[in-house]
Amino acid sequence: MVKRNKSNVDEAQVEQFNWHGYVRLAQYIKPYLKKIYIILSVIVLANIAGMLGPYFTKVVIDEVIPNRNISQLLLIGGLYTISLFLMGWCIRYRIYHITEVGQDMLKDMRLDIFQHLQKLSFSYFDNRPHGKILIRVVNYINTLSDLLSDGLVNLISDVFNVLITLVFMFAINSRLTWYSLSLIPILVILVLYVQKRQRKAYQILSNKQSNLNAYIHESITGIKVTQSFAREDENFRIFNAINTENSQSWMHAVKIQFLLWPGVQNIAVITTCLIYFVGIRQIGVNVSTGTLIAFIGYINNFWNPVINIGNFYNSLITATAYLERIFETLDEPVEIEDAPDAQELPAIVGDVFFNNVTFRYEPGKDILKKVNFKVQAGQSIALVGPTGAGKTTVINLLSRFYDVNEGAVLIDGHDVRDVTLASLRRQMGVMLQDSFIFSGTILDNIRYGKLDATEAEIVAAAQVVHADDFIRHLKDGYQTQVEERGNTLSAGQRQLIAFARVLLADPKILILDEATSSIDTETEELLQAGLHALLKNRTSFIVAHRLSTIKNSDQIFYVNGGQIAEHGNHQELMQTRGQYYHLYQSQYAMLKID
Amino acid sequence: MNNFQWIWQYVVKNRYKLIIAMIFFLISTALILVNPYVMGQIVDRVIDGHEDSLLVPLLLVMIGVTVARTITRYIYQILFEQTGQNSLFDLRMDMYDKLHELDFDFFNHNRVGDIMTRMTGDTDAIRHFISWVSYQVLECVFYFIVSILIMLTISWQLTLALVAVTPIIFWLTQAMAKAQHPMFFAIRQSFSRLNSMVEENISGNRIVKAFVREDFEISKFNEHNDDYKQRNLAAANVSKTYLPWQDGIANSLNVIALIFGGYLVIQNKMTLGDLVVFNGYLWMLNQPMRMSGWLINDIERFSASCVKIRQMLATKPEIEVETTEEPLRIKGDVTFKNVTFHFQDDPEHNILTDVSFSAKAGQTIGIIGETGSGKTTLINLISRFYDPSSGQVLIDGQDVRQYPIRQLRDNISMVMQDVFLFSNSITENISFGRPNLDTGYIQSVARVADADGFIERMPEGYETIVGERGVGLSGGQKQRISLARALAKDPAILMLDDTTSAVDMETETKIQHELAGLTTKKTTFIIANRISSVRDADLILLLEKGRIVEAGKHEVLMQQQGRYYDVFQKQLGLEKGEQIGQTK
Repeated sequence: MVKRNKSNVDEAQVEQFNWHGYVRLAQYIKPYLKKIYIILSVIVLANIAGMLGPYFTKVVIDEVIPNRNISQLLLIGGLYTISLFLMGWCIRYRIYHITEVGQDMLKDMRLDIFQHLQKLSFSYFDNRPHGKILIRVVNYINTLSDLLSDGLVNLISDVFNVLITLVFMFAINSRLTWYSLSLIPILVILVLYVQKRQRKAYQILSNKQSNLNAYIHESITGIKVTQSFAREDENFRIFNAINTENSQSWMHAVKIQFLLWPGVQNIAVITTCLIYFVGIRQIGVNVSTGTLIAFIGYINNFWNPVINIGNFYNSLITATAYLERIFETLDEPVEIEDAPDAQELPAIVGDVFFNNVTFRYEPGKDILKKVNFKVQAGQSIALVGPTGAGKTTVINLLSRFYDVNEGAVLIDGHDVRDVTLASLRRQMGVMLQDSFIFSGTILDNIRYGKLDATEAEIVAAAQVVHADDFIRHLKDGYQTQVEERGNTLSAGQRQLIAFARVLLADPKILILDEATSSIDTETEELLQAGLHALLKNRTSFIVAHRLSTIKNSDQIFYVNGGQIAEHGNHQELMQTRGQYYHLYQSQYAMLKID
Repeated sequence: MNNFQWIWQYVVKNRYKLIIAMIFFLISTALILVNPYVMGQIVDRVIDGHEDSLLVPLLLVMIGVTVARTITRYIYQILFEQTGQNSLFDLRMDMYDKLHELDFDFFNHNRVGDIMTRMTGDTDAIRHFISWVSYQVLECVFYFIVSILIMLTISWQLTLALVAVTPIIFWLTQAMAKAQHPMFFAIRQSFSRLNSMVEENISGNRIVKAFVREDFEISKFNEHNDDYKQRNLAAANVSKTYLPWQDGIANSLNVIALIFGGYLVIQNKMTLGDLVVFNGYLWMLNQPMRMSGWLINDIERFSASCVKIRQMLATKPEIEVETTEEPLRIKGDVTFKNVTFHFQDDPEHNILTDVSFSAKAGQTIGIIGETGSGKTTLINLISRFYDPSSGQVLIDGQDVRQYPIRQLRDNISMVMQDVFLFSNSITENISFGRPNLDTGYIQSVARVADADGFIERMPEGYETIVGERGVGLSGGQKQRISLARALAKDPAILMLDDTTSAVDMETETKIQHELAGLTTKKTTFIIANRISSVRDADLILLLEKGRIVEAGKHEVLMQQQGRYYDVFQKQLGLEKGEQIGQTK
């Protein structure tokens, strides 16, 4: 098992970005190629319209003014204005459609990562602070926004410009052209020098940003604990350190990143000077003054897009650090997924069979060892035993949150690995220890169990678990807004809502993991009757500490040391006088009045 | 105070950096004007005038100027970045500080994802403004002024003709800013919703899987994802309306210069050479006009982010945090005098009504009652997470409102119903309230909480890192670690809110014995559903709908044969399984 990550520790870099990464990025661009081509042609049109300006200027200076031809002057003014309208239209088209294409690509990428996230197992979420997952889906992807919109289109048009200009330059004078390319090797060295360091710097920065996000996230979610422990000063100290690291790695990264522009700029000017020098001194070349001046003009046309390409490359390297993390998440293996030939699990009755099940989270430490049991449909099973004995693991294997290492879990004779996850879990109701409440209304929260449930069905479910009463007493009844995790509700109230949610799902197999621990006696008493109705015709597995819940089960499994040490109903187990008997006696003794 | 004045408070601390940056900025920008002049000289004097000896010096000047220009630019860029980072640092610290000052009310009404957005996305928009937009604006202003000054010396008529157009640009810019303002705020809000949705999905991943709601979550995500795209497109739509006009008007300067200039030359009011030179400076006037629209977008993005940050910083907590340096050590007498409490937004509905009782230091108070009867609220009033609406809570005879809040809480440990553990090692979780405790002490408190055993059995023992919120541990394990964490503080008042609900009774009794045997006596409040948890208490309060309906010791309450007696009988019955409908 990989050691869990915490907020002030950098996550290990699993994947290194290489050419394959760019190919992968290209996959996101592909669906929009047609749109990008159209945008490019509009840009070319705009460039042509833009070139009319200097031409008009030349005509006016060379011909119109010497001829003092005012009407021709006005005509050119009119034509010039028309060219501006054409350019304006091009800009208008470009602004909107580039944004559209860029946003579409981001949207696709974000959806991919989110969809993948839904397939990942618990352990992925358990092994790192949630703030670090969040930053990948939202913030990292946003950093690509400029790159994938203006950046991409400009890159293509800049490369195009460079090539065209080179053709012109060679046409004018190939000797001079070679001279002007002579410093390209230095440029390459510079780029490689900057690239290596910049990439490293941004990898560090993205880690620090991730740490910062994680720490902020945990500070917000854990704020009540922090405030009640008056631990603010310590938190400030830690935040200060994380914040400082963040600022420093930012500065480190930009100090490297900003080196590229001055480098390219200086090389460009030195090249220009070189051309002046050899051109005027006629060193190895023989050019006329006119040619020289025209050539100098082209050199500017050459270097401007090169500088732009440099800037693009710069932001590409920056983005690489984020892309690495995004692709890393997309490549995170899905531990539990449908077998290629998985069948839909037909409507089940609820027979459960554990056949020689062995399970371990890490090699050498078996949590369950060759566990065998059979449960008939409709039976209720209580799992008891010491903490860490494997009760929750039994439950997790049943709903296939993990896969067995040896043996098989069969439901109605189907190996759970042979059926689709969705069809399996749909027929199971799992009520976890932590009754998570989503932000929204109480109604929506219960409806989560069955999305198309009517309000009447929801109220009925709430009535069965005796949640209806307290819900009606809330400010807006079922329409009361609760925030994430239901901060304004008590733990018992949240458990009741979670209960109603499971009931609404109407599962054949019901799993209750310490589900009633925070419910008060009055409600529990009422709930017992409801629960009784609820368990009817369902196979149920209950992890609980309350004897009342345990005693009424059809079978009790005493789990210890990764095995079912004892099983049978209450009377049988009491007669065996084993571990269960001991547990029952000691607990019951505590209840009685002295 | 507008947004610029507000952010200036953060930026102003870097004024020396800014002054230096400004000097370099002026040098660098002024140097831009040199090379075109030098190139003109090369053509005029070296090529046409054949002053061959000037070539090398002129070329060296060109290279030297470029080196100087790029170095100065690099320096001021870094200085602006530094200023941005420093301001961002302070801003984040202020926000983080504020976060810890705000009370439960704020967190009950603001989603985690939204607060996250304020501290990350919004602060980044502000950083971008300080370290990039600011000098871009300066550059524009500089170009604008310098170009007009130069042009005036060449031809005042032509310059005036060009300047006549600028009001249109100003007007367009303002209209665009006004139109974009709501657009960027909408983008920001949409981003926050997206962030919140994903955040909840990650936190609730177990429920999503348990209910096979992946598709539902994906469709929910799709809505937010698409909404975010649409908001961005809406802003692009506004840009599309205004930017081409701004660009066009900037370009129209060329037309005006050419046509009106040509006319002036034809009329002999200007030389042809002057017109050419004039044209050479036009880009300096064009550039700021063309940039203005783009900068407006950045500025509006900045403003949208400011709104939410400033809102958060301006939120006044109901219960003010004031800090004093003197250490406070309380004894632990707690008295409630006619305490009534209701939430501010729901004054009709009392959570607690006329609650009075008193506990001596070292005593144990048990509180039982139905779900929603006000048990948790009662103890929240002691550590001042809420203040009573009327009546008084006294600790050591003094109203709690007179204590500095953090010092007060430092004397109180609260084990909450919702166990929250941090994704950190168990050691660090237990020593949360008192950082850097020694290992022996940590183990001893873990032993009291009966946590030592299972912690030792974990692969990495006390150094095991628990997942966020403590996932991977059972409910009982989490409760015991959180109890150890509360004990590690060695508080005068200990409040256990349903702390042992997920542990079995045997463990519970063990814990109670250990607690009773602690050397320093603590005033202990125990909220529980099981009578077994409270029966040894010095005072048991039975709450019903926010009122104390019965109070006394176990034996006394049993004799009264009232509500407490009923509950007890029911629990005994429940445990025996004698309830009607339960027997099979």
